[in-house]
Amino acid sequence: MSWRRDDGGSAMVTTIVLAPILLVVLAGVLQLGALRVAAARVRAAADLATLVAVNDQDDGELARSGALRLAADATDVAREYFARELDLSAPFLDRPAIEIAAGADVAAYPSAPAVDARTGRRYDHPTVRLAADVPVRTPVFGALILRPVTVLHVVAVSSPR
Amino acid sequence: MKRRAASLGLLLVSLCWSPALGRDLDEDRRPAPATPTPGADPAPYVAPPPGVYYVTDTYVADVVTSTGPLTTYTTTTVHQSTGSYARVLETVGTGEASVYDGRAFNGRRALGDGRLIAGTYYENYVRTDVGFEAVSIVFFQDDAELARLLAATPSPGVGRPQPTPSRSSGPIDSGCCAATRPGRTAGPAPTAPPLRPIRPGISLLPASVPLAGLEVLRGRAITLWPRAFVDDREVPVRSWAVIRGDAGEPATMNGAGGVPFRTSWPRLANPGSTFDLVFRIEVDTPETGHRTVEATIAVVVRSPALVD
Repeated sequence: MSWRRDDGGSAMVTTIVLAPILLVVLAGVLQLGALRVAAARVRAAADLATLVAVNDQDDGELARSGALRLAADATDVAREYFARELDLSAPFLDRPAIEIAAGADVAAYPSAPAVDARTGRRYDHPTVRLAADVPVRTPVFGALILRPVTVLHVVAVSSPR
Repeated sequence: MKRRAASLGLLLVSLCWSPALGRDLDEDRRPAPATPTPGADPAPYVAPPPGVYYVTDTYVADVVTSTGPLTTYTTTTVHQSTGSYARVLETVGTGEASVYDGRAFNGRRALGDGRLIAGTYYENYVRTDVGFEAVSIVFFQDDAELARLLAATPSPGVGRPQPTPSRSSGPIDSGCCAATRPGRTAGPAPTAPPLRPIRPGISLLPASVPLAGLEVLRGRAITLWPRAFVDDREVPVRSWAVIRGDAGEPATMNGAGGVPFRTSWPRLANPGSTFDLVFRIEVDTPETGHRTVEATIAVVVRSPALVD
């Protein structure tokens, strides 16, 4: 049968040419997925940190006025819990969690209404806001002549409603 | 046998007899029989006009006390009689104008926001040969900043003067009982004993400021202390009970005065609404008598949440 040609050699060539490309694409997808997982963890860490900080109220002020006010150490509480939660994702991080948390911009607005100077948002309740840049390792991206470290920008805002 | 028993009973009765100690309860209220003194010229009794009472508590000074955010306006009196009489002219609430404003010799103060304080105007009288002559007007202030907040949710005895004149008692008495019961009378309409207003309150601590409203976090356990005040002094609470409102998940709905109300709210109120909790507070002291008052506190339950 003349119409059937032997394509064994071309298949090998095709495999040799396309396999690396497929592997690179696969690695990129996996790295992108890992990055999204890391981003979700970082966001959850920031959310939880602000929630814990808001939950820490000034009991003395509550007894005096009956109104919820943030505790004086609300920013410290938010920073501490952010570090604790980030530490659970340490393999992803390019720097120690405590160092990242120390560099975070944490602001407490104990009385409302207040306007956030960073975001321009108005808060109608006592609010804690955390903004941080979290460097995450992305070695596959680095191998692909991209950045080996991807910085995630995260902002979390909590208030009692 | 019957005769022996009857004799024994008669013997017992004769041995144990005693005079009956019957006593007419109204005996000491009755005027003593007149004992005309020879040579004396008894002045004719002039009945006071309606509403005019013999003064037994005399005005001393206006008092303004501040405890934290609570400013209380009261009037101090001394329990003595100067022989004068008084009657209630008008009881005014916070910010209410009166035709007697500016006529009281001690004036009428204003709150920090400019509104006139609550209280009662009294007119003083002296008895002359021709009758009762008005001599002055005095204003008994009775208000508080916190009491006005509580008044937004009306409850008896909160920061408002009672309509009964608390500074005077009934008309002048006759001679027989005046020495032992100053101010009492054998007249036709004895007035009820003056009730001093009881100001109830709810606080988060045993000695903190009473609150009209409270914000709490969902699920957080809190303690509320039902308390009661007379003038600017706290009086012990005998017992309390939650009679209305959503109490959340309380440990108990009533208790003694030294036991706080413990609860937590696992859910939020509807948007824009609050959990209005009403306590019935029972006090029983020699100063207040056995009375109950109601205290209301509006509870706003909040939950920490993320802001989008």
